[in-house]
Amino acid sequence: MSRVTLEGVGKSYGAVTVLKPLDLDIADGEFLVLLGPSGCGKSTTMRMIAGLEAITAGTLRFDGRDVTQLHPRDRNVAMVFQNYALYPHMTVADNIGYPLKVAKVAKAERQAQIEAAARKVDLTPYLARFPRDLSGGQRQRVALARALVRSPGVFLLDEPLSNLDAKLRVAMRAEIKHLQRSLGVTMIYVTHDQIEAMTLADRVVLLNDGAIQQVGTPDEIYDDPANLFVAGFIGSPPMNFLAGTATGGQFSAPGITGLPCPGTGQLTLGFRAEDTTVTEAGRFTGTVYEVEPTGEATYVVLQMGPHRVNLRCDKRFRPELGTELRFDLGAGQVLFFDTASGQRVR
Amino acid sequence: MKRGFLQSRLLTVLFWLAMSALTLLPVWWMFLVSVRSRADLFGKPSFLLDVSAMTWDNYAAVLANPTFQKYMTNSLIVATSNAVLVSVLALLAAYAMSRFALAGKDNLFFWVLTNRMAPPAVFLLPLFLMFTGIKLGDWSLFDTRLGLILLYCVFNLPFAFWLLQGIVDAIPRELDEAAYVDGASTFTVLTTVIFPLARPGLAVTGILTWVFAWNEYLFASTLTSVEARTITTGLAEFVTVTGTNWGQLAAVAMLTLAPAALVLALVQRHIVAGLTFGAVKG
Repeated sequence: MSRVTLEGVGKSYGAVTVLKPLDLDIADGEFLVLLGPSGCGKSTTMRMIAGLEAITAGTLRFDGRDVTQLHPRDRNVAMVFQNYALYPHMTVADNIGYPLKVAKVAKAERQAQIEAAARKVDLTPYLARFPRDLSGGQRQRVALARALVRSPGVFLLDEPLSNLDAKLRVAMRAEIKHLQRSLGVTMIYVTHDQIEAMTLADRVVLLNDGAIQQVGTPDEIYDDPANLFVAGFIGSPPMNFLAGTATGGQFSAPGITGLPCPGTGQLTLGFRAEDTTVTEAGRFTGTVYEVEPTGEATYVVLQMGPHRVNLRCDKRFRPELGTELRFDLGAGQVLFFDTASGQRVR
Repeated sequence: MKRGFLQSRLLTVLFWLAMSALTLLPVWWMFLVSVRSRADLFGKPSFLLDVSAMTWDNYAAVLANPTFQKYMTNSLIVATSNAVLVSVLALLAAYAMSRFALAGKDNLFFWVLTNRMAPPAVFLLPLFLMFTGIKLGDWSLFDTRLGLILLYCVFNLPFAFWLLQGIVDAIPRELDEAAYVDGASTFTVLTTVIFPLARPGLAVTGILTWVFAWNEYLFASTLTSVEARTITTGLAEFVTVTGTNWGQLAAVAMLTLAPAALVLALVQRHIVAGLTFGAVKG
C-alpha cells in the first residue's frame, strides 16, 4: 500500500499542454476514481502514475519518495488495462505468475502465490486455459489476479469494465469494490461512467479539458457541484439548467419569477429532477412536452420558454401532453451558477 | 448455369495442370537424367521412367565426392547462419522501429528498403574489390563463409525487416506496457512477449532468407573460389572443357533442390499465415 502524491504533475507535447498541473493527495488504502469525458486527461494521468507516459512537469511521490523519473518496473504498481492486455501465448497460470517470474521468485513459491491469487477471484478451475478460451468476465478476473499476485503498492485500473456487458459490469463492480475493501489497497480507477464512479469511489476527481473540475466524495460531487460542468456531468438525467437574470436578490427566467438568489446579473439556475414536486401551489410553471415512464418513476419533460426540464414524478403519473403543470423546489435544492464563467454562485 | 460452371471449372483444372507440367517437367527430366547410366543417356530420349534400367550410381558417386560434401556443408552453414542472423537482427530492428520514437523513423525505413531496389549485379564489382582489398594480414573476406554470410545479411535484412515490422506492429503495445508494469525490462519484454508472439513471422523470415541464401549464385560464384564454394556454384564445375558428366550434374541438382523443396513443402501453410499476419485486425 502506498500514499500517492501529485505535486503540480502536468503533461505537454511541445507547446501543447494536454494536462494542466494537478495537485492531488491520495491516501493509503483509498479508492480514488478519475472521472471525465473522453479526452479529458484521466487516462494520461493514470499512465503517468504508472510510468508509461513521461511526466513533463511537477513531481510524483509514492509514500513521500520521488518516483517521477522511475521506470514502470521500479514503481511497484499493478495495472489492469481496458482490454486486459493478457499475454495470449501464456496460460492463465502463466499470465498470473508473470510478474513473479520476472521477479525471479522460486517456482514452488510462485505456484503457491498463483493459486492464492486465483482463489481470490474464483479462477482456480481455469488455470490451465489460455485467454482465448475465457469469457470477458473471466479475462477481467485474470487481469485482476495478475495485478494482485505480487501485492503492489498501488493498483491502477483503466476502464476495466468498459468491455463487459451491462449485467456483468454491475457484478464485477461489486467484486472490485469488495476486493479493494478487503485488501485495504490504494486503488486508482479511471472511468467515464459516472455510475461506476459514484458507486466505487471514496473520492472522485472530475476532470475536463486536462484540468481538475472538482475533487470530493460522491455525495459532495453530486449535492454540491463546483461548476456547471460538474453539475451537468453527474446525475442521470442530468441536472436541469435555466438561464435567467438576477436583480435585487430575485431570479427570473421563463416560467420562474421572484426566486430568491445570491448575486446579480446573468445567472443559471440548476436543480435535479428528483428534487421537484408537482403541486398546484408550485411557484414554477411549464407545458408538458413529453412523458417518459421508466417503470420505477415517470419523467415529465416540461417546456419552459426556450428550455426543457425533467421532473421525476410518481410512477403512475400521466399528465396530458400540452397541458400546463406547476411544480416547486425546496430551499436547499436550487443551485446558482454564473452563466459566463460557469462557476457556482453561493 | 450449371454447364457454365462445369466449363469454367474444367478450364481452371486444365490451366493448373498445364502450369504444373510447365514447372515440374524440367524437374522430372532432371530426375530421369540423374537415374540413367552414361550409356543410356545418349539413347532414345523418353519422358517415361524405365525402372529396370534405373541406377543410383550417379547419386552414390556424388555423395562420395569430397568436393560435393564440402560444397554442401558450406551451403548449409552459410544459409543457416544467414537465416538465424537476419531473423535476430531484423526482429531487433523491427521492434525498435515499432516501439521507440526514433528521429527520422519513416525516412530510415524507406532508406533500408531502397537497398533492395538496385539489381544485385550493380554491387558486384565494388563488393569484389572490398572483399579482396580489405585485409587483416593475409586474411580477407574473399572465399570465406563469413564473407558470404555477412553479404547475404546485407541483402536479406531489408526484406526481413519489412516483413517483421508489420508483424511487430500488429502485436498490441499494451502487452509491452503490461509487461513493463509487471516488472519486466525491455529485453525481457522482447524475449518473453514479442519473440513468442512474432514466432510465425520469424519462421517465415528464417525460411525465406534461408532459401534465398541456399539458391544464391551470382555473389557465391564471384566472391568464392575454392574454400567457401556453395553447392549452386559447384554445379557448374561438372561442366568442364573435357565434357559434361550429365548424370552426376543432374544428381547434384536434385540434391540441391531437395532441401529447399522439402522445407517449403513442410512450411508453406505457415508462410501464407506469416505473410498475412497482422494484415487484418482481429
